[in-house]
Amino acid sequence: MKFKTDRDAKLGYWLILPTVVAISTLIFYPVFYNLWLSMQEVNMNPIQPNTFVGLAHFIDILTDLDFWISFRTSLIFTITTVIGTTVLGLAVALLLNRDFPGRSVIRGVILLPYVTPVISAVFGWKYLFNPVFGQANYFLVDILHLFPQHINWIESPAFAIYAVIIFNIWRNFPFAFLMILAELQSISASLYEAAEVDGASAWQKFKHITLPELKFVLGALVILRTIWNFYKFSEVYLLSASVNVLPVYIYEKAFASYDFGQAAAISAILFIFVLGFIMFYVKKVLEW
Amino acid sequence: MVGKNTILKNIIFVVLLIILLTFVLLPFVTMLSSSFKPDNEQNTFPPQIMPENPTMEHYKGVLNPDIFPFLIYFKNSLLVAFLSAGIGIVISIFGSYSFARLEYTGRAAIQRGVLLVYMFGGVLLVIPLFQLITKLGLFDTRTSLIVTYVVQTLPVSLYMLGNYFRTVPESIEEAAIIDGCSRLEVIYRIVIPLSAPAIVSVFIYAFMIAWNEYLFASVFINSSQLRTLPLGLNQLFYTQHYVWGRMMAASILTAIPVIILFLSIERFITGGLTFGGVKE
Repeated sequence: MKFKTDRDAKLGYWLILPTVVAISTLIFYPVFYNLWLSMQEVNMNPIQPNTFVGLAHFIDILTDLDFWISFRTSLIFTITTVIGTTVLGLAVALLLNRDFPGRSVIRGVILLPYVTPVISAVFGWKYLFNPVFGQANYFLVDILHLFPQHINWIESPAFAIYAVIIFNIWRNFPFAFLMILAELQSISASLYEAAEVDGASAWQKFKHITLPELKFVLGALVILRTIWNFYKFSEVYLLSASVNVLPVYIYEKAFASYDFGQAAAISAILFIFVLGFIMFYVKKVLEW
Repeated sequence: MVGKNTILKNIIFVVLLIILLTFVLLPFVTMLSSSFKPDNEQNTFPPQIMPENPTMEHYKGVLNPDIFPFLIYFKNSLLVAFLSAGIGIVISIFGSYSFARLEYTGRAAIQRGVLLVYMFGGVLLVIPLFQLITKLGLFDTRTSLIVTYVVQTLPVSLYMLGNYFRTVPESIEEAAIIDGCSRLEVIYRIVIPLSAPAIVSVFIYAFMIAWNEYLFASVFINSSQLRTLPLGLNQLFYTQHYVWGRMMAASILTAIPVIILFLSIERFITGGLTFGGVKE
């Protein structure tokens, strides 16, 4: 570098300073502060002092059945939505990876669920899932007769999880679609031509060319979606407050029961779990 | 070779496409149709897509401040989203230029630190930030939301802009420096004008995140005068304003600005390069 000078280095520090200050005070400091809070009996009034209780919250939580039920809900929600968004995204990308009239318009339309504000999309789905007059019941119960009677998709805890999963897949598959499509378009056509000369079937081409080429993007999509959906709050809570995934459990512990210490401890556990997953995944699955 | 096989393939393709578009668009079609239906048509069963007597009354209701506080929420969302995106873009132009072009000890460590933020979801931060915001006396102010949103969007903005700045030919910058420009002048006169599409896209990205945010807003904001759209609309859903048509009209009006903004930058974002840095 010809222009590497002390003045440049100094300017570099000044230009990055606002970023460092902002992220340290509003991300890193809160993360540690949260750990500290998780060992306190937190006073409801933030001005009043707290009492140190050590690991008591963690013991309470890990022996509380409600926590484990919520944990299970989170696992079910995350696993189904990660698989759902990735598989649907892959299928749609494969379907649209060809030339046809109106292709760019359709690609834009498919991204709509992902860019629409959650609050708007949620109202649309609440209407679809309405127990009395919604299309979901009309289609599944009155036309297909899959269930004996109309189902309360939004409020019944047993069924609301399905509504939340379907909504999440609908909203997030476009992201997977877009990333996979970009990768598909970069696969060289000569690979497929060579395979055709060798008489490969469509399935063989998919298995031996497409999938290996997509390995990296699929691996990245799975880990990102897993992290994001473990932390997912608004998309669950706004559609149905009765689906008690861990973020909703934390939120209600903190801001409905005002048990900040316990809530902080649960979020610490959630974070440790996600961190453990990331390390396991990066080592064993991505083999980085 | 246009055989039976090709025709069959095309038919399958079109059928799959129709199923896909139905799945994607059904909620939007429902919202639109309900927003034009008079109240007595909302509960018809089986559900009708086309309103029999279309009406604009819900849109008039939503925009009338005497019966529905939509415009107050809209103004709050606009203010918070615009200011947080604006402040964020200034910080990230400086930061990403520093990452992309300037060399100093610790740069790689800081870059990795910024990436770490991807591992912390909003739900991990909401409790400590609530305590912090309250202690700083920022509870129930728009400022609390603006600072939070600036920080939430910084990592992605830095990543996207940094990638773009690296594509600006370094020789242009070097030539300007030889001609006597300072580094700051280089940023102001060369890098910013050449990166305008990226800067606009990052601004819109940050704007959309702030426009959409519910979790922090629900915790930091108390007075109804300060509510943003997601917060205000969700609370209205549980009050006497709960009128399907009106809620749908409000949802449509909330979504339209964001969809227009997105379509204006779609070409840039779907290049893949930038979308790779998105954080939810």
